[in-house]
Amino acid sequence: MAQYSTGDVRPGFKIEVEGEPYNVVSNEFVKPGKGQPFNRIKLKHLKTSRVVEKTFKSGEKVDVADVEETKMRMLYKEADDAIFMDDNSFEQINVPLSLIGDNEQWLMEEVLYSITFYKGIAIDVQPPTFMEMKITETAPGVRGDTSGRVLKPAILESGAKVQVPIFIEEGEKIKVDTRTGEYVSRV
Amino acid sequence: MSLESKISILKDRAEMLSQARLFFSKKHILEVDTPLLSSTAPIDAHIDIMTTKMHDGRLGYFHSSPEYAMKRLISAGLENIYQISHVYRFGEEGHLHNPEFCMVEWYESPCSFDKIIDNTVDFIKIFLSGLPVKIASYEETLQKYTGLSLKNATENSLAEYIKEHSPEAPNDIFFWDIDTLLQYIVSFLIEPFLGNDELFVIKYFPASQAALSQVTEHDNLKVAERFEIYYKGIELANGYHELSDSAEQRTRFSISNKKRVELNKEPLPLDELLLKALEKGLPDCCGVAVGFDRLMMLRHKKKTIAEVIPMAWSEV
Repeated sequence: MAQYSTGDVRPGFKIEVEGEPYNVVSNEFVKPGKGQPFNRIKLKHLKTSRVVEKTFKSGEKVDVADVEETKMRMLYKEADDAIFMDDNSFEQINVPLSLIGDNEQWLMEEVLYSITFYKGIAIDVQPPTFMEMKITETAPGVRGDTSGRVLKPAILESGAKVQVPIFIEEGEKIKVDTRTGEYVSRV
Repeated sequence: MSLESKISILKDRAEMLSQARLFFSKKHILEVDTPLLSSTAPIDAHIDIMTTKMHDGRLGYFHSSPEYAMKRLISAGLENIYQISHVYRFGEEGHLHNPEFCMVEWYESPCSFDKIIDNTVDFIKIFLSGLPVKIASYEETLQKYTGLSLKNATENSLAEYIKEHSPEAPNDIFFWDIDTLLQYIVSFLIEPFLGNDELFVIKYFPASQAALSQVTEHDNLKVAERFEIYYKGIELANGYHELSDSAEQRTRFSISNKKRVELNKEPLPLDELLLKALEKGLPDCCGVAVGFDRLMMLRHKKKTIAEVIPMAWSEV
């Protein structure tokens, strides 16, 4: 198995600790005056997102997690699964909606998603940071206030519920930040 | 970070470098500038040395501290000397570390162990004025913060303590040696709480962590005449009543090299010129190394040393 030295581990590295896959959040070098140096590494579990801290002697080896990130296109949704396709190999996979969790609200056909595989099994689906989509439901637009500071609820074609400025009309296309669900602009 | 944002700190850095020099010249301590590169290296199990290939085929070692060369000068007759030098340590990078940093190191002779502590506190106060000072032995500090004692500590009792109080510790602590366990406890369970509103001096380290200091007896324990000074949980100084026995020095070199081999590191060549100087005689003296960049960092209430040096390794 490939390994990193604990001193070389940087944020974003994927490592396996005690059989569990983690994303490295930070790595702090701690060294007593003349003694054993340590690395205190903050880790986020790739499946549960739980954050833990682990301390290692500097220079010790940690296993590289067998993690791969691939862009895949969503084809359609079924009752319990979403079906994605690799554009190069045309390979299709079913990902349980339960695994996609809150991000299900950002699922749209034909869009490319970032899918993380751990030992060949999908463990996370991330939408693009910014998505453009139509508003399928919102109260009629109100003229006058164009500051964008006064907001009203709206439902997007993917089903996501967001807040948009009051001058936006149903049927309009907007750009939204999927990390926060915030309205960015009209398209 | 931008260089422009560092300008006022760099001006103060220049001022503090001259204040430091003034401190020493008032005490009639002479400035020296020993070579950064040498054909031998300071030998520490846990300090890794940078090297470069020299024109004559020999390996040049960048010093991790000017200690050995300065001791040769002391033995030759320059008894009270200081050096403000960049030193190099392979692999040390973090918010309190840069692979190249500025160290202030000095030696005084004759000088008692307690006197060098007082003088180091005076030096630190040029940078951090008005702080009260607290001095405690390693044993007292260990007892106060953890309830543990060097008198009855075993590998197993220390590992049990870590397991109970530090959930982020690795699983293999039960296989660690006693010094590594103590260093873990001090680094993670004591140090962060030291010197919140004062300069905190720890003296009399366990004899097994003597490095280059003399070993003595204190409070029925075999201890090293070694001290460290902390402020806001950050180590600022490390000083010794210096070891002057050449044979003992040779033994400690080989212990450090043995430890290096156990850690899968290269053993380092012995500085025979230092050993010869010790044989000829090193006057009874005390010495200390102070981290100039960390002093600047605390003086300017910054979180990283990158903010108080012209350019960190990530910026060049």
